[in-house]
Amino acid sequence: MPPANTAALDILNLRKCFSEPAVNDLSLTVRDGEFYALLGPNGAGKTTTLRMVAGLLEADAGCVRICGIDAFADPIAAKQVLAWVPDEPMVYDKLTPLEYLEFVAGLWGMEPDLARFKADTLLDSFGLAPHSNERCGGFSKGMRQKVALAGALIHEPRLIILDEPLTGLDAGSARQVKKVLTGLVAQGVSVIMTTHILEVAERMADRIGIIARGRLVAEGTLEELRIRASADGNSLEDIFLEIVGGETGGEAPNGDAGDLEENVA
Amino acid sequence: MSTFAASPALVRFSRHELRLAWRDWAWMFSGWRNTSLRRALIGMGLFYAIMHVIAYAVLSPHLTAGFVLDHTALAMLSVTVLLSFTMMLSQAMESVTRAFYARDDLDLILSSPAPSRDLFLVRIVMMALTSWVMSALVISPFLNIAVALGGAHWLSGYVVLLSVSLTATGAGVLITLALFRMVGAQRTRLYAQILAAVVGAAFLIGMQVVAILSFGSMSRFSLFEPAFLAEHAPSAGSALWLPAHAVAGQTGAVFLFFAASVLFFAVGAWRGAVQFRRIVVLALGVTEKTPRGRVSERRFRNYSPLGALVQKELKLLARDPWLVSQTLMQVLYLIPPAVMLWVSFGENTGISVLVAPVIVMAVGQLAGGLAWLTISGEDAPDLIATAPISAFTRLWAKVVSVLAIVGAIVLPIALCLALLSSWGAVATFAGAMTAAASAILVQLWFRAQAKRTTFRRRQVASKASTLAEAAASISCAAATALIAAGSLLALLPVVLLLIVLAVSWSIRPKHSAMA
Repeated sequence: MPPANTAALDILNLRKCFSEPAVNDLSLTVRDGEFYALLGPNGAGKTTTLRMVAGLLEADAGCVRICGIDAFADPIAAKQVLAWVPDEPMVYDKLTPLEYLEFVAGLWGMEPDLARFKADTLLDSFGLAPHSNERCGGFSKGMRQKVALAGALIHEPRLIILDEPLTGLDAGSARQVKKVLTGLVAQGVSVIMTTHILEVAERMADRIGIIARGRLVAEGTLEELRIRASADGNSLEDIFLEIVGGETGGEAPNGDAGDLEENVA
Repeated sequence: MSTFAASPALVRFSRHELRLAWRDWAWMFSGWRNTSLRRALIGMGLFYAIMHVIAYAVLSPHLTAGFVLDHTALAMLSVTVLLSFTMMLSQAMESVTRAFYARDDLDLILSSPAPSRDLFLVRIVMMALTSWVMSALVISPFLNIAVALGGAHWLSGYVVLLSVSLTATGAGVLITLALFRMVGAQRTRLYAQILAAVVGAAFLIGMQVVAILSFGSMSRFSLFEPAFLAEHAPSAGSALWLPAHAVAGQTGAVFLFFAASVLFFAVGAWRGAVQFRRIVVLALGVTEKTPRGRVSERRFRNYSPLGALVQKELKLLARDPWLVSQTLMQVLYLIPPAVMLWVSFGENTGISVLVAPVIVMAVGQLAGGLAWLTISGEDAPDLIATAPISAFTRLWAKVVSVLAIVGAIVLPIALCLALLSSWGAVATFAGAMTAAASAILVQLWFRAQAKRTTFRRRQVASKASTLAEAAASISCAAATALIAAGSLLALLPVVLLLIVLAVSWSIRPKHSAMA
């Protein structure tokens, strides 16, 4: 059981170097029940950071605490309260959504009846109920992303990490996903999400962190970032470009781990 | 206009395909690692030299005394040609199916103004050439030694080999086209894979079954006895011996055989090329379909994490058409020992000594294929890696899944064998499971994480792991036969097995697996 009254995520001096530093002494905190958006140009180190938090990539140095649990010292306990949703939906073509959710529930050791109830609720809220017995191989990317998201939510995580979750979703599906995420945050679940859609961060996030060249260069509410960027009344896009200095972030060869296949399985 | 436009496109496609083939080849021989190509080439050179020594040992008794093209020689040469043909046809069917179904660069090429017909023509020629080069690598030591000992006329063997690869590739195209017409795009891939597996194994197995039924022997060489050939084979002047005469260097036969192959290939390639775009469009439109039944009301089962992983693996394996064809091929190899058991039932209690090694070899190969797909293929690695389970549980689930399937296949065979010899049955079961365990260990050490869809071709596995797996299976088969015979010599293959496993472990690639 994670300790009470702790931050959902505490990252301290995290470091990862490939051929050059991808994440450089990065520290940030996501509070309990907070929606945190992590922004940055391509290759800034967003995905690398989140993959280290999720235990998918080994850190060179630093510390990660998830709900008070040291994720490097006790990864299994940390993973019990964590959900990871990558930008590329990873589901099994040969399984149906229902079978997929049953499998995920088994991995997290859920009670079967509760898991079935949660599965039905999630499939319903994502509009997947009519397809629950069809194999995922025939699904569109958006449907696959929703299946993956349902898998991430079924075990009731306390911290959800999403890497570009809205990529490839149509407007209706994106709205469904946003609604579900907002509902979860209202229930006290913490969400940390990377996105290039600044409007989403602007509307949904309680706080926004901006990463550039592996460092957290700015953090705060939209208002705080506005003040910092001396850009009163401007959009997040203006603020973002002001802070990262118009950097468009050419993909570093080993930068964002979204491009990497650092496998750990 | 079309002639001038098509010509540069053909050249561009040829260059593109050659580059891809070369890189694929280099990558294939260095496994999944960035091992230097030089090391791979040195290894292959050594292998090639050893093959020459073996070829010399096999051929010198026949060629130094003066070669006579009698019934036995004709039969031997014909069987070699037919065997090469079935193997190449099996490979061609798989390649043609892949050319139609693998998305790769087809979206780009079909949406470009370049003529897709030319692309298919280039790809089909590349298939024939690859098939020729690969089979020549295996057969050329024998041809080279034949040339050295018997004369330059044996060089015609290379032409025959090319003719066979052209015929097999042309046939592969025509059969796949026929399948498309008969069963449609949705089912052709599965049927082609199964047919390819059956074609690849059927000839060898058929010969063995005939040998068992005719001579009560598992050796295919029994069929080459002069008396048997005199009674059952066609007369020496029959046109059926044309390929054999061509191999032996008869100019007319070589020319006729080559011309017929080129013609057949041209017809197949052209028919495939003109239909390429239509078929690819159909094939790319194929999606995974399951019946839209009622929404299941059943309760979720109470799985432990390990149980959930095993259940998932078994479900995925059962729903994998590629695996179905591969398993079918391994099961086909069990037919001869089954026939042998049936023929000898009640007469020969020592039969387990004969059939046990065949069963162990087949099971070892089956386990290797299953382990390769299960251990290295994972469609949702992030999900598994972020689940609250240990790395050991993750791998153990995959091992258990493979052992469960192998056990389910071996157990009934061992029980049948127990009716003849309980000791032989125990030895066979233990040998088969040891072969399976060895194959699993090798695949664990050489695992390379990727999606299952990229694991269709077994040959993309590291060559070192494939060789280690084969060596382990052979050692287990030899040990099982000797144990079944009650011989202490069984210790030798056991020691060899341990050496193979130790070497595999020492050369395994480094993994970045985390707990």
